[in-house]
Amino acid sequence: MLPEKITREMFDKLVSLAALELDEEESEYLRTELNHQLAAVKELSEIQLDEDVQPSLHGIECQGNPPRKDEWQPFPDPDAILALAPEREGRYFVVPEIAQPGQEGQ
Amino acid sequence: MMTQYEIVVGLETHIQLNTETKIFCSCKADSWGAEPNTNICPVCSGLPGVLPVLNAEAVQKAALLAAAMHAEINPVSYFDRKNYFYPDLPKGYQITQFDEPIGKGGYLDVHMPDGSTRRVHIHKLHLEEDAGKTKIEAGRRLVDFNRCGVPLVEMVTEPELHSGEEAAQYLTELRQLLRWIGVSEADMERGHLRCDANVSIREAGSTVLNTKTEIKNMNSIESIRQAITLEAQRQIAAVEAGERVESYTLDWDADTGTLRKMRSKETEADYRYFREPDLLPVKLSEEEIARIESSLPELPYARKMRFIAEYQLSAYDADILTSERSLADYFEETVRLSSAAPKTVSNWMMNDLLRLMNDLGKSASELRLRPAELAEIIDLVESGKISPATGKALLRKVEESGRKPSEIVTAEGLGLIGDEDALRSQIAAVLSESPSEVANFKAGKESLLGWFVGQVMRRTGGKADPKRTRELLLEILRK
Amino acid sequence: MNTTSLSAFEIARRVRAGELSPMQVLEEHLAQIAAVDGIPGQLDPPAMDAREEQKVHAFIQVTADLARKQAEQIQAKLARGEDPGPLAGVPVSIKDIFCVQCTTTTAGSRILYNFRLPYTATTVARLEQAGALILGKTNLDEFTYGSSSESSAFQPHPNNPWNTQHVTGGSSGGSAAAVAAHETPLSLGTDTGGSIRQPAAFCGVVGLKPTYGRTSRYGLIAFGSSLDCPGPMARNVSDAALMLQVLAGADPKDSTSSIQPVPDYLAALAEGVRGLRIGISPDYDHIAYPDTETGEMGIQAIQPEMNQAVREVAQVLASLGAEIVENVPMPNARHGIPTYFVISRVEAASNLHRFDGVKYGYRTQKPVQDLSELYRVTRAEGFGLQPKLRILMGMYVSAAAHSAHYYQKALRVRSLIRADFERAFDPTGPYRLDALLTPTTPTTAFRRKEVLRDTVLMQYSDQMTVGANHAGIPAISIPAGLDPQGLPIGVQFFGNDFREDLILQVAYAYEQATQQAPWRQEVPQALRATEVK
Repeated sequence: MLPEKITREMFDKLVSLAALELDEEESEYLRTELNHQLAAVKELSEIQLDEDVQPSLHGIECQGNPPRKDEWQPFPDPDAILALAPEREGRYFVVPEIAQPGQEGQ
Repeated sequence: MMTQYEIVVGLETHIQLNTETKIFCSCKADSWGAEPNTNICPVCSGLPGVLPVLNAEAVQKAALLAAAMHAEINPVSYFDRKNYFYPDLPKGYQITQFDEPIGKGGYLDVHMPDGSTRRVHIHKLHLEEDAGKTKIEAGRRLVDFNRCGVPLVEMVTEPELHSGEEAAQYLTELRQLLRWIGVSEADMERGHLRCDANVSIREAGSTVLNTKTEIKNMNSIESIRQAITLEAQRQIAAVEAGERVESYTLDWDADTGTLRKMRSKETEADYRYFREPDLLPVKLSEEEIARIESSLPELPYARKMRFIAEYQLSAYDADILTSERSLADYFEETVRLSSAAPKTVSNWMMNDLLRLMNDLGKSASELRLRPAELAEIIDLVESGKISPATGKALLRKVEESGRKPSEIVTAEGLGLIGDEDALRSQIAAVLSESPSEVANFKAGKESLLGWFVGQVMRRTGGKADPKRTRELLLEILRK
Repeated sequence: MNTTSLSAFEIARRVRAGELSPMQVLEEHLAQIAAVDGIPGQLDPPAMDAREEQKVHAFIQVTADLARKQAEQIQAKLARGEDPGPLAGVPVSIKDIFCVQCTTTTAGSRILYNFRLPYTATTVARLEQAGALILGKTNLDEFTYGSSSESSAFQPHPNNPWNTQHVTGGSSGGSAAAVAAHETPLSLGTDTGGSIRQPAAFCGVVGLKPTYGRTSRYGLIAFGSSLDCPGPMARNVSDAALMLQVLAGADPKDSTSSIQPVPDYLAALAEGVRGLRIGISPDYDHIAYPDTETGEMGIQAIQPEMNQAVREVAQVLASLGAEIVENVPMPNARHGIPTYFVISRVEAASNLHRFDGVKYGYRTQKPVQDLSELYRVTRAEGFGLQPKLRILMGMYVSAAAHSAHYYQKALRVRSLIRADFERAFDPTGPYRLDALLTPTTPTTAFRRKEVLRDTVLMQYSDQMTVGANHAGIPAISIPAGLDPQGLPIGVQFFGNDFREDLILQVAYAYEQATQQAPWRQEVPQALRATEVK
């Protein structure tokens, strides 16, 4: 069985879901590479696993600190975060309006 | 024949936990009144490189709520990432619990005014972080991250509610429960308790689930009642007119009392859930779960029924006195400290204390007038040491001054005159000023007794013990 | 000979003893950088002449002022008679994926151009606390996504100090190059699939990937959050141990950091290998490589000198009293890269969601109609090819329709990979290993541009290293010779959970026993050039 191939149409949909935009050359290159990578992971689906093989989240089982105490420790400089904004107005971050197809009003 | 329709409603509620800090960082949970983007840190504003650290108290409160909802507390639950792009979501994913939430199953019994009970099941209770807020100004969107990372519990009910009325009652009882167990302020106007409703209709007797619409932005219980009722009516009218109900989201406008179509919900978004690798599983030991479950207080309905049985209160009084846990505690503590009958304590609270609380805008737990003081006032009245009117006035004086009732009585000379010599001299003065009334009385017009009592009361500024005064008057006049 | 040839250990010893001024150490290292590094990595770099082409280009940013301030603090502490810390006066470079206040943090990406964060990574803060001088931020593959450091948006990319026509490996390529070229004796790297060990092997230095959670990830811009490990890069094993000692330990800001006590790594170093069991696996003398059209796996030989080096190292260790355990089966090693292709991409795609032009970093200058266009254009312009490819792959294999088939399956295969190691290290099992010895890489450093466009081949240069990341265990790569082209060969020791002490001990024993080996007397090309000058 040959691995699944991502068609141009599927690829374009994926690009849009990923909030990306690609030019023609990038599209062709990345789709080819994506298909090669999917071919490389094909063998995963062929591995037979016993029922009792559990998913592993970190490899080892982490022994970390217990959850923290509910104590207020304000970040000393929230303005430094706001200062990183590419666009702001007063104390707000600013983005263009969201287009909502099918929305009535506004 | 007209088709009978049944309305089918499921509610999705978001409950803001009243922890001191946010769920994954040490910013304050509550930003009420704060300037935009002041209550933020690198974690909740989604800066790169930083990591979430779980607030233990959020877990405790969610588990307590799960216990109160009769849900099973999961000994191991997990956080997952829900991935989507939106400007109020600074990381581009929300940390939530997807398939192994902290609470599984559970229900709330909703008690309808007609005496019936409806058991509403929830299928999942999970912890998650809130998103920020955006507002539109001059065609652009302004973003405030203060609310990002506020701990929420999401509970989704099965479609087991059948009217706007029932949905409103569910929310009323849920709100009462949340405050009762102390996990949320549950103030709908402030967004501590948020609710979306899924509404559909079906022929009565059917069990199918038809296409539903989702109503958002209802921020009061009255809105929920109205919006669901209106939407059900709209759907029935549409079906009657031979149209199909389409799946979309509706926005409730409380000012105009109307629903506005937001967007069609054609395809479910794919959130690509996966385990949050930055957090460890949330583990609660058997002992911890047992401790949480045993820390659950007696719940409102059980307490109400006990008040009726144990204290012989009317259902109406019991209902009001159990509307809030602090009020019910106040009542029981006063009963314990006072020698008066529970019904007497209930009357004082229902008639006078609630008015005082209402006037001052305070809850029972915020009063300076504690149960010990109320019990003292009731006992002073009951033992005839002060008049009922003085007792009522004392409530406010104690609340305002914070002094003991007996102190105020002494200092202001509010005690009733029960001393026989004092009363006798006051009576003598009244009788000597009213020779014609005395004559009439002696001539057989005994109904004048009340008038004499009134005169004594007037002379003493209401402090004469009315019972003793009456006895002495009769003794003197009949001599 | 100046202080740039000294070990970190020796610099700290002399500075602490008052025999060496931290300012002198600093100035000599800055002079070395000026001599060998060339222009720093930058967006829109100028045309380079042949001389620049020969430079190392390890750095994106040299933070001389910051380091001077730190050197002054060390001097002040010494003057006051205070302990200046175990790394007093030791120059350290930091892979530019760590947030360091007072420096720009680029992650090698245009999307974080000119970006200054108001906090410092825990590992970096610990280095500073220990008296290290932070000399600068080193170049890397964009967001650490690669194995050659060529994919950085900041060019020129680093070159291999042994032969500048060859790559450094990656993604901690700038760090490996800086250490190899004597620009800093230590560098802080990160390892997600081999990003410390593979460039360490390519550049002939020591690189250690600790147990997952042994070092804090706070302040490290995430790639694969369940795989990422900060770790030391150094010119010798004891320096790596010294640096790990400073880095390791629980951090309240990283929930996944371990509360296990940190042992004394330096004290254990010289205990020797007598009686230790060192394994060799036939599953690590070749790689399973897929046909990129059919997905059929074929067996591919690795560069013969790699296996030769493993055998020679084993012989040295045996001569020191170690027991060599042959034929340790690691049957799931071959699944390492396919599993990694899924897990790391899913985590990476999600981790990159936050770079959207709203809160910080790059935002497109083009006029846009709406928010969604702002996202698309910003990300299209801000991300290079490698982040884009990882986003697409990660989104595809975690989509609701494919997750069970790919992502969920990969998580379970990860357990199999872990189980191989558990069996090998099990003290009651058939192998009872203290360390597993393998080549670090299938080949020595490849030529520039040779692999860059073939993303599958590039990923397979991590075939030998990635198992440690899946299993969460520690592993160290150390130099073990030069190939006929004069390029370094690295070998790797895997260890059991939190047994960094043991693999350091084994590596140190080999290193000490081969001090007189002829290959150790060779000097990287970049250093020969400075000597000529």
